[in-house]
Amino acid sequence: MPGRWFLPRAEMDRLFGALAADGRRIIGPTIADGAVVYDELRGPQDLPMGRTAQTAPGRYRLSETGASRAFDYGVALTAWKRFTHPPLVPLTRSRRDGDLVTIEPVIEAPPKLAFVGVRGCELAALRIQERAMRAGPAGDPDHVARRDASLVVAVECAQAMSTCFCTSMGTGPEVGDGADLVLAELDEGYVVTVGSPAGGAIVEPLALRPALPSEIDRAGEQVAAVRASMGDPVPADGLPERLRAALDHPRWAEVADRCLACANCTLVCPTCFCTSVGVASDLDGIEGTTERRWDSCFSLGFGRVAGDANFRPKVADRYRQWLTHKFSTWWDQFGSSGCVGCGRCIAWCPVGIDVREELAAIAPATAPVGPIPWPASPAGGRAPEARPIVAPARHVTATLQSTEPETADTVTLRLATNDAALLAARPGQFVMVELPAFAAPPISISRIRPDGLDLTIRSAGAATAAMTGLQPGAQIALRGPLGRGWPIEAASCQDIVIVAGGIGLAPLRPLLDAVLADRPRFGAVRLYLGARSPRDRLFVAEINALAGRADLEVAEIVDRAGPEWLGRVGIVTQLFDQATWDGSRVTAFVCGPERMMRATAATLERLGVDSAATWLTLERNMACGVGTCGHCQLGPFFVCRDGPVFSVAELGTAFGREGL
Amino acid sequence: MAAQVAGARAHRSPRATSPKRPRIGIVKLASCDGCQLTLLDLEDELLAISQRVDIVEFAEATSRRSAGPFDVLFVEGSVSTPEQAEEIARLRAVSQILVTIGACATAGGIQAIRNWFDHDDIRAAVYPQPGYVESLAQARPVADFVAVDAELRGCPISPGQLREFLVALTTGRRPQLPDEAVCIECKRRGVVCVAVAQGIACLGPVTRTGCGAICPAYGRGCYGCFGPREAANTTSLATWLGDRRSAADVGRLFAGFTAWSPPFRSVIDAGGGPPGPVGRRSANPASPEATDA
Repeated sequence: MPGRWFLPRAEMDRLFGALAADGRRIIGPTIADGAVVYDELRGPQDLPMGRTAQTAPGRYRLSETGASRAFDYGVALTAWKRFTHPPLVPLTRSRRDGDLVTIEPVIEAPPKLAFVGVRGCELAALRIQERAMRAGPAGDPDHVARRDASLVVAVECAQAMSTCFCTSMGTGPEVGDGADLVLAELDEGYVVTVGSPAGGAIVEPLALRPALPSEIDRAGEQVAAVRASMGDPVPADGLPERLRAALDHPRWAEVADRCLACANCTLVCPTCFCTSVGVASDLDGIEGTTERRWDSCFSLGFGRVAGDANFRPKVADRYRQWLTHKFSTWWDQFGSSGCVGCGRCIAWCPVGIDVREELAAIAPATAPVGPIPWPASPAGGRAPEARPIVAPARHVTATLQSTEPETADTVTLRLATNDAALLAARPGQFVMVELPAFAAPPISISRIRPDGLDLTIRSAGAATAAMTGLQPGAQIALRGPLGRGWPIEAASCQDIVIVAGGIGLAPLRPLLDAVLADRPRFGAVRLYLGARSPRDRLFVAEINALAGRADLEVAEIVDRAGPEWLGRVGIVTQLFDQATWDGSRVTAFVCGPERMMRATAATLERLGVDSAATWLTLERNMACGVGTCGHCQLGPFFVCRDGPVFSVAELGTAFGREGL
Repeated sequence: MAAQVAGARAHRSPRATSPKRPRIGIVKLASCDGCQLTLLDLEDELLAISQRVDIVEFAEATSRRSAGPFDVLFVEGSVSTPEQAEEIARLRAVSQILVTIGACATAGGIQAIRNWFDHDDIRAAVYPQPGYVESLAQARPVADFVAVDAELRGCPISPGQLREFLVALTTGRRPQLPDEAVCIECKRRGVVCVAVAQGIACLGPVTRTGCGAICPAYGRGCYGCFGPREAANTTSLATWLGDRRSAADVGRLFAGFTAWSPPFRSVIDAGGGPPGPVGRRSANPASPEATDA
């Protein structure tokens, strides 16, 4: 039984003093512009004494309680993530001196803070968000440091707002484990419960008297009354499965008619963690900085990939992404719900969309639990070699040895590096490639050499145009290797089929290198290559040389032939027309445009290739590379971390589904 | 409005085609000159900018004049007279990249309110001798007349976005001009939502960000000077606002500097058109700050 003490109301300043004496700035509830927000407090006088809030969908109003309590307001507009996952975090400083490139991480010592007034639901949210930011083996160092530097003084709720539903989410109203101190507010003061040694060290010098049993009882009755007043507005049992079965529900389109896609729900959500990277530079692009900004799956840019394609163009897609992530795929990713029931998304929606109503309409408790569209836990099905092995802030500069033009718009950069991690890259992995003043695109490694890497880059935007224009001697920054590569081990003793469309051959070339380097380990090796035109073929000399080898088959086809082309014309799946091989012995590796991969996967299935032995690599909008920015999500997957290589079986119906 | 062309061609830096400094022009049509002056607001870097680009036409700042050609031409103002319609066609022909700046050039501006009214009535209401005035029946955005490569929104434009555009131009990268809602900027800044907490009508959710959420930060509702963002669901917002306001008052909230942009126009039309000097006038005008508290 932890110690329980009593802090008279008039002595709250002694607690504040003890927190300050511990070297902490105190963050807590205070009133600004008509709402309770969390901000720095000078002392107890800044608390929202005698104020409460009325909330309803799209509406928030403060009012007087006529009493002197300080914590009667529900939750503040701001979530604590403002302090653990700030809206703007500087990431890197970069500089280009002639050919030389330096990129340094910006590491700020986190402020030592005390969070006063954390609710049960918010404590759960801090834990949930921290788990998301620590999920990669590298984790997010900024978040972890900020969280470790904070001390939590939780306060039990004495009343529920109309938008609260923590009881359904299992996060409150009672404050759970993890707080350093827990206060329960009575009219005359606070029952103080010590939750950690750090919390004990704060209250010990205050020499508080033990709380009386009657005080402890009243505190308990208070929070029990809050629980009773809330009921169970969102039956959560089976909710993740019910939502997964409702991906095509007509309600998504209906809610999109009302949804403004303004992103407010995600920005006030205490667990939403998605960010984007912004780039700034001086006028000459010599000095650059990058910073991480809060972003949202509701903004169009969030789903944009190279070439201005977008995988979530419709508002209905974006709303579905948010709701299914929060209540369903979060379980797959992090083993819990992403919602804590704080109700902020309801109150602060400018048009009052109520997530409780939407869930009741889309996935009612009576709805059948449908077939699982993808494996329940991608983490469970993931090969152990999948893990990225470098911290996200670690940049390595590599020097351009030579460039090899491949097509009119595609160049292979031959980079020299002695970085052990980069040289240990596995086929199918990618690197984030950065030049000062430019956004960093993810680029698949197209050859792993003993002294460096090849990157084959198509000039599709400004950054890739700058990269393809570099001259030998120039430096470029790399972060990686990242992601899960091709599972070559699993293909041992199997026949190998490699199918590439256009530049999709680039990430397959290291696989081909590895297979040829250990040729006796594999059965037949067959290479099927498609390109838009003869001029768009990659690695032409190498492929021509391979075609002459007796121990592998090479078949090529182009969409549009020219006078110089004597080979086949058509799409890559036509190369399988005369295939006589036994698909059950085949492990297939596929890369190309998404439509081509879908058609190829279907053809391979007809030929008897197991969907668990058909591997492909997905290009999504990968930005952080370690699963913490949220951009590359596809159903339960972070493509950068769980992929980019997936088997068709792993992806299930997530593969090729529009708007996911 | 030339919706998503912003930046589509702009990343083709003129520097890539010519080793010389890009020739820049800044011109105006029907407008107040405020957006052009934003360039002069980049005081700290103005000198450095002028060393990297060759400003050959900028009547607000220099007596040096040029009729073109331009590598990049910034155009302020809406097309409001027959003369301007001819001029913009000529300017387009001599400009490699044409960038519209400000609410007038990108959406028609406040003067586009006249588009709802009889042209002769309006002229008679404004000028004692309308016969001396030659104007088009409608004030319209530049993109209605010629192809536009990029646009900077706002009334006036944001110095930060102008700088970003110029830096992208000189370094050959793509300008970062977000097309999401003002709400994102509000929440990053920690501004309390004026719509939810005070019931102030705010167009932030349907308006493109870039201003830094200035108005909500000062306790006002956004009045949409950057114009509609992508997927601007003005119908839903108008329905919500209409719960406590007449359709005419809701329409009036949208009838500002970017009124003529289609997503805003549809709400104004549903409210019976904007209030004006002639014709219908709202019986009980509500200012954008009017609350439903």
